[in-house]
Amino acid sequence: MFDYIGHTLQNPLPVTSGWLESLHQKARLGALGRKVSDESATESWKYSSLCALEENNYATTAKPDPEPDLLDKTLSQTIGIDKSNAHNLVFVNGLFSAELSDVEPPPGVEFVRFSHAEGQHLTSINASLGTMADKHQSIFRVLNELHLKDGMYIRVNKNVELDKPIQIVWLTTRQAQSYTVSSRVLIELEPGSKAQIFETFTSDDAQQNSFTNNVTELLLREGAYLQHFRVHQEQEDALHIGAVHADLYENATLKSFHLALGGALKRVDVAVNLLGEGADSEQFGAYLLCNDQHMDYHTSTEHFVPNCTSNEVFRGVVGGRSKAVFNGRIHIHPGAQKTLARLSNKNLLTSDTAEVDTKPELEIYADDVQCAHGATVAQLDELAIHYLQTRGISRAKAKALLSYGFVAMLLEQVPEPVFAEHITAIINHYFQRHYSEEGCDE
Amino acid sequence: MLTIKNLQANVEGKPILKGLDLEIKPGEVHAIMGPNGSGKSTLGHVLAGRPGYEITGGSIFFKGENLIEMETEQRARNGLFLAFQYPVEIPGVSNMEFLKASVDALQEHKGEQPMDSVSFLRQAREMYKQVDLDPGFLKRGVNEGFSGGEKKRNELIQMLMLQPALAILDETDSGLDIDALQVVAEAVNSLRSCERSIVMITHYQRLLDYIKPDFVHVLSDGKIVRSGDKSLALELEEKGYGWISEVE
Amino acid sequence: MSKQALNHIINNEYAAGFVTDIESDTLPAGLDEDVIAFISAKKDEPEWLLQWRINAYREWLKMAAPDWAHVNFPKIDFDAISYYSSPKGMSDGPKSLEEVDPELLATYAKLGIPLHEQEALAGVAVDAVFDSVSIATTFRSKLAEAGVIFCSISEAVKQYPELVKKYLGTVVSQADNFYAALNSAVFSDGTFVYIPKDVRCPMELSTYFRINEAKTGQFERTLIIADEGSYVSYLEGCTAPMRDENQLHAAVVELVALNDSEIKYSTVQNWYPGDAAGKGGIYNFVTKRGLAHKNAHISWTQVETGSAITWKYPSVILLGDNSIGEFYSVALTNNYQQADTGSKMIHIGKNTKSTIISKGISAGKSSNAYRGLVKVIPRASGARNYTQCDSLLIGDTCAAHTFPYIESSNSTAVIEHEATTSKVSDEQLYLCQQRGLAAEKAVSMIVNGFCKEVFKELPMEFAVEAGKLLEVSLEGSVG
Repeated sequence: MFDYIGHTLQNPLPVTSGWLESLHQKARLGALGRKVSDESATESWKYSSLCALEENNYATTAKPDPEPDLLDKTLSQTIGIDKSNAHNLVFVNGLFSAELSDVEPPPGVEFVRFSHAEGQHLTSINASLGTMADKHQSIFRVLNELHLKDGMYIRVNKNVELDKPIQIVWLTTRQAQSYTVSSRVLIELEPGSKAQIFETFTSDDAQQNSFTNNVTELLLREGAYLQHFRVHQEQEDALHIGAVHADLYENATLKSFHLALGGALKRVDVAVNLLGEGADSEQFGAYLLCNDQHMDYHTSTEHFVPNCTSNEVFRGVVGGRSKAVFNGRIHIHPGAQKTLARLSNKNLLTSDTAEVDTKPELEIYADDVQCAHGATVAQLDELAIHYLQTRGISRAKAKALLSYGFVAMLLEQVPEPVFAEHITAIINHYFQRHYSEEGCDE
Repeated sequence: MLTIKNLQANVEGKPILKGLDLEIKPGEVHAIMGPNGSGKSTLGHVLAGRPGYEITGGSIFFKGENLIEMETEQRARNGLFLAFQYPVEIPGVSNMEFLKASVDALQEHKGEQPMDSVSFLRQAREMYKQVDLDPGFLKRGVNEGFSGGEKKRNELIQMLMLQPALAILDETDSGLDIDALQVVAEAVNSLRSCERSIVMITHYQRLLDYIKPDFVHVLSDGKIVRSGDKSLALELEEKGYGWISEVE
Repeated sequence: MSKQALNHIINNEYAAGFVTDIESDTLPAGLDEDVIAFISAKKDEPEWLLQWRINAYREWLKMAAPDWAHVNFPKIDFDAISYYSSPKGMSDGPKSLEEVDPELLATYAKLGIPLHEQEALAGVAVDAVFDSVSIATTFRSKLAEAGVIFCSISEAVKQYPELVKKYLGTVVSQADNFYAALNSAVFSDGTFVYIPKDVRCPMELSTYFRINEAKTGQFERTLIIADEGSYVSYLEGCTAPMRDENQLHAAVVELVALNDSEIKYSTVQNWYPGDAAGKGGIYNFVTKRGLAHKNAHISWTQVETGSAITWKYPSVILLGDNSIGEFYSVALTNNYQQADTGSKMIHIGKNTKSTIISKGISAGKSSNAYRGLVKVIPRASGARNYTQCDSLLIGDTCAAHTFPYIESSNSTAVIEHEATTSKVSDEQLYLCQQRGLAAEKAVSMIVNGFCKEVFKELPMEFAVEAGKLLEVSLEGSVG
């Protein structure tokens, strides 16, 4: 077993100039003396093991990119939504690839690389970066900063409405040595602006030896509207511990959608802070697991002020020898009256060797609120399977269709058709393949 | 088409069918009537192969083959169709996806190429119009949030698309107003042919005014106790089901 | 609602808060192996039990007090507690009622628990535990006719050592958790019940616990065994005097339901909750668990209105095929009370079923948490759970939490969990008041309605009692 944090501290990034260096210094202090094992002993890691992180030495960062041409080919074939329908930003092993990206932002939008930030941009970054991060300063947020070579600040200016989505592709490739990818974006929507962001995490087809530590920060100023998608399609061996933090000010709206196909260890922490009255958060998510995959979603919706609404629906189809962990928390702070908050987590468990651990949580400190949560772990309805069979559809196909329907219901909530179609295709493909494999979960 | 001999079946361990005999030839339309709890719906489900409906004795041959040995979907692919009394809701799966999967499965069984999406869609839209439903329903989840009458019509659309050899309509008339009843009747009548048989399971003779049966059977306590022509249904209408037990 | 009426209600006193002036044999504070040997010797216990206690104590020394519950309190000084107290002359266990100090009988009468059989509640046999010892058990001869054993656990150790040895610690082991280990080391008394094969216990059994002495802990241990095909309904009630310091109550209850048997266990817990400023009150840290064998049925019903802090999770291990576990709970917290309570249902056998209905009511500045676990292991095919947790908040200074843990590893299991919150709305109160109801009556009606599903599980006599108890506990909560 490698001591991941210890090794990381012994292999510091080369000294760079300016503010990133001071970020590294601060993170160094934050990481000193901490152990991965301390983190895994916490309630937050009750159902997920961090062993995979210390089985190989992930403590160094990626070497320079392989052939970009090769990547471009893979990219255009497999990743995300149609490139011509989006403004594309591509990161390879955590580093921004200008060749594969549309460097010129659309009107009213700014793309600022962390390593190039200066003047007013740097002030904005410093004012917001990490301020939404979790109060407990999870060791992985600290490590993200310790390893950070670059990142992207995206600003949508006041009252600007984007014509096309911004697509962010996070690509990892197999390298000679196992390595860590630290990546980060800070997205700020100025008052009254409107945008769609589509993030895809993916990898090349080779067996992966990367550990991705990603943080995405979303800042929605007054009246801003954001659709945010985060799709995990990395190859199975990839490790991922990521976080999405969102701050919503007055009348801001966040509609987010998470989709994960499993991996050796995937963990995503989502924290939504409702900081201004009239803010609205809608989160939908799906995880589709098989083989020995492990997926862990921890979400937290914090109602700090009155008159906000939140709705969260996550669904999972869990088979093989996989394990799904879901922890969804609604926290109503004192004084946050007239809150409407709902959360639902439904799972289909399709194998006796798979496991679902779910915990919807409510913490309520105000009385004039309407909160509800529900969780189920169950199976496909036998009557529905029968109904499809009476129409000539095979049992396997019936299960694929019904499983697809179970997840596809969430897509009715996706306003952007390009996104809905893309995600429909991923889900459909997954179930077609999953149920056609002989004896899979039967 | 269908030969049932001495059929006995249990539901949740309780005997419901207790020695039922029925012979249906190609082109015939049969009506099966009877009081509540007589086993009418059970017969439909046993024929379709619903789990939990256990056959304990007797035989069923469909187009010369042993039906009991067939999986539910094989029965469907061989041309047996059951219109459910209570159609199942399948949220998230659209009628279009469902119908296409079903039509494809039957085509494949016949060794035919799957229908291309354009002609499939054109045909499906026609069917919706035929039963007086908005083709917009194609995009909605299967039976999801449909009214009782809409569900029944959705069943008929499936029947029209699948063109079964034997269609069993389980109380398709219940809960329909007179206009809807006529729509149902037209759809069923459009299917009538010398190669196709129809079984109508119904409580009331009303439907039989619109779809004229060749034979009427009265089911009571798991057995067919009377068989006759259309006049038997009228007699039942007049005298009620109490009269059956008196004859027995 | 008028300020005056409000004050009147707020100042309503804890009715069971008096102290009985009686001489006691009380051990000096502190715990070591000598204290355990003393307790064991005082009760004339066999060597195996002393060893069992010592083993538990050694395990306990290695353990840390749990800190995961959603409750806050200063660290308990376990050396400041006396681990044994008994009314003078009672240390040899209950004799006939004539020998019991009339002062004690008066105490129970005052609490509404008459121990004289002719006055007793018809059809209910009572075991009364005062501080560390059982002082009286009623209707013993009538029960004996049916072969039912209902006595104090100290007596059972002497009279039925095989039964005790066979089952003690088989459901809650000595090292199960911090407080269970402590209890195993120092338990003083408690109730023992054995229902023979195919016997339907002819009457309700009931234990009444009373903490009287200051600075003592109460560590009772209850063991109920329902042999194959038998049935028993058991009820416990608890009160304590009003004292400014906190007192510890760390009980263990073990239920063994053998094949085809049924145990219904009901609790009305009204330990002193502390005063309106949060001073004093009982720390109620209890481990309750049942083991259900094939086709057995264990049902927990609890009405928790007392205690400064409640920390308990009555659980069922559904070991046998087709076994059933149920948990019905009303937990009410007011003023500065804190409760972290719920249930655990562990599905091991096939076709096992469990139901959890939890109603939490928070008022004042209190905190009320439901915490539960539903676990289905891979071989528990056909397992089924339904959980419903509802919270009712009264006022904007209280808190309500829900922490359900769901773990499933079987592809035929169906688990459903739902939780909601609601408040007593101003509109509801206004409507009731406009129709001439006093505010507190209106609240009590609404709360009773909210708890109806749980109350219907209580034995008849106690359902009425529980309703009244809620009413009293809630007073002062409407503003």
